[in-house]
Amino acid sequence: MTRRSFLKRGLFGGALLAAAGAGLAMWPTLMKHHPRKPLLVLDARGFAILAAIAARMVDAPGADPIEIAHGVDVVIARESHEAQADFRQLLLLFDSALAGLMDAHVRPFTSLSFDEQGSVLYAWRDSRLALRQSGYKALRNLTAAAHYASPTCWESVGYPGPPKISGMVATPAATP
Amino acid sequence: MSDKIGFIDGNSLDGELTCEVCIVGSGAGGAVLAARLAAAGKEVIVLEEGGHYTRADFHMREDEAFPMLYQESGARATKDLSIAILQGRAVGGSTVANWTTSFRTPESVLDQWARVHGVRELGVGALNPHWDEIEKRLSIAQISLEETNRNNRLLYDGCKAIGLEAKTTFRNTRNCFKSGYCGMGCPVDAKQSMNITYLPDAIAHGARVVSRCRVDRLVVEAGHVASAECTVLSSDDYGYAETPQRLRVRAKKFVLSAGAIGTPSILIRSGLSGGVVGRGTYLHPVIGVTARYKDPVEPFYGAPQSVASHALAHRGDKVGLFMETAPLHPMLAAISSSGFGPQHRAIMTELPHLAAHIALAIDGFHESETGGTVTVRPSGAPLVDYPIPPRIWEALREGLRTLIRLNLAAGADWVLSGHDPALRFSSERDLGQLDSAPFAPNRVNIFSAHIMGGARMGDDPARSVVRSSDCRHHSVSNLHIVDGSIFPTSLGVNPQETIYGIAQLMGDRMTQSWQ
Repeated sequence: MTRRSFLKRGLFGGALLAAAGAGLAMWPTLMKHHPRKPLLVLDARGFAILAAIAARMVDAPGADPIEIAHGVDVVIARESHEAQADFRQLLLLFDSALAGLMDAHVRPFTSLSFDEQGSVLYAWRDSRLALRQSGYKALRNLTAAAHYASPTCWESVGYPGPPKISGMVATPAATP
Repeated sequence: MSDKIGFIDGNSLDGELTCEVCIVGSGAGGAVLAARLAAAGKEVIVLEEGGHYTRADFHMREDEAFPMLYQESGARATKDLSIAILQGRAVGGSTVANWTTSFRTPESVLDQWARVHGVRELGVGALNPHWDEIEKRLSIAQISLEETNRNNRLLYDGCKAIGLEAKTTFRNTRNCFKSGYCGMGCPVDAKQSMNITYLPDAIAHGARVVSRCRVDRLVVEAGHVASAECTVLSSDDYGYAETPQRLRVRAKKFVLSAGAIGTPSILIRSGLSGGVVGRGTYLHPVIGVTARYKDPVEPFYGAPQSVASHALAHRGDKVGLFMETAPLHPMLAAISSSGFGPQHRAIMTELPHLAAHIALAIDGFHESETGGTVTVRPSGAPLVDYPIPPRIWEALREGLRTLIRLNLAAGADWVLSGHDPALRFSSERDLGQLDSAPFAPNRVNIFSAHIMGGARMGDDPARSVVRSSDCRHHSVSNLHIVDGSIFPTSLGVNPQETIYGIAQLMGDRMTQSWQ
């Protein structure tokens, strides 16, 4: 399979990145973020890449890239084995300078500046390749959801939280 | 059956169970059918992969509710991730997490099923008595305009301002507090979901409801289902991990009520693929806007979905639309808005001032539409694919245009589309942007919360999976399918009440012809 043909396939639809897996391992990732607890699906390198993505994607008071990456690891652990494998490959591809050649940068995502990282994300978002569009969407939604699902975001978005209704019941136990 | 065992965690079981009817899935279809068959004296077991939760578990927090109550923690999507799919996963199925909207099936839909898809004996006349009964049991009633929240009131006012009819919705609630958290499990048992209504009814008549029990396959021998082979799921972390425990359920009859993704995938894993199994999946594809208002909207509080407009349901040869609202809590707001970094943050800080309105495309009514597919990966997990055809993109574009116009007419400061980057509309003059905007996969956010089809009913075995008279499989004599997967098209309304009505009717027909 040529590289171009696997990039055109869908993201979680199969073992699409297997052909590239061996080649991607040689590009060095800047290991800036380290896990605080045992990982479920990701390895330390995948975690560092995901946390770097989270740091650039989620700009909000109290947003912690390491917590977000752990949260995504938990969500991915509940997915099928196929989706887990695809997600690990996606992270390696995302960080690789190999993929970066398409966007005229030759360093891994983890070692790029704030502006350069933004350019990479836009390049994936606006790519004509379905894999890159899907990849951007997956990384954006998973990191955003991991942060904004948590009560730590409530104050910063003006959400007062749920009403206090504990102990109140609308009806007695429903009966036929 | 003499025991009084009711809700049972699969982890407490081992080996083999036997009964007269084994129903796979405890949502809108399985629960109503279980209650009907149990009341008729049948010995019923209901198998559910999700967990059994009660109001004490519902803390109105997205980080807990989504992994607890939704498939894949709420992250389910089509194969290319272009359509996010919100689907329930719990005892009670999607009824535990839905937004309570309850409509009878439009007569025009049932007519089309009869005319085009060979669906017999399923008209309004057959369903009405069941709907009457169900609406009483579930306290389905129309909410008054005075009881709606501002998010819904803005949809109502906006529709009126641009000349479109809008009405308040019917909801299955009793003494509703209108807290706004239907989608995270009702914390006060106001929502009359299956876990507090028809499933307890079934249990009162001796049924057993087994949670955390995933059906891997049906064992089919000589055109007959002999047993259901199940894996017990962990009681930790919302029950996604498999345990080594296996269960086998033997029964005289089996019913698949696992929903329009679960049912086709069980058929395929059981060697019952082929024909139209896993084909003709319809999603009511949803496009949405967020609109900013000067005065607070607080889209997180109040009855979440209490106004709907069906004014565009019939657009001649074009795909019809209906419009409703969506509640916005922080995570849903984060997913349904666009962009990243500071740009995304700027939208999120407007949350209390945002309204969220949606347009749903009524798919499956044109002969060119073949819908989506459900297949199974090597691990057994389902995979949904739904390539959106041009005529549905046209409808979604028109839906978006209408949502923008009605919000501007209702006084919005600006309206954002779900494109990435978002398109911003501050006046009607900005609508021209829509003509050049991309309407293509992953260029604009598309959602689905109504999954239908994939095992459709009809009179022609080459074009359908079950016969419509009693939802029995065309070639497997003791297998029935009773859930949204039997729909030959989408509906044009939220699907729960259609499924309730069909399930109760089919329960009676199965009882009458019991062998």
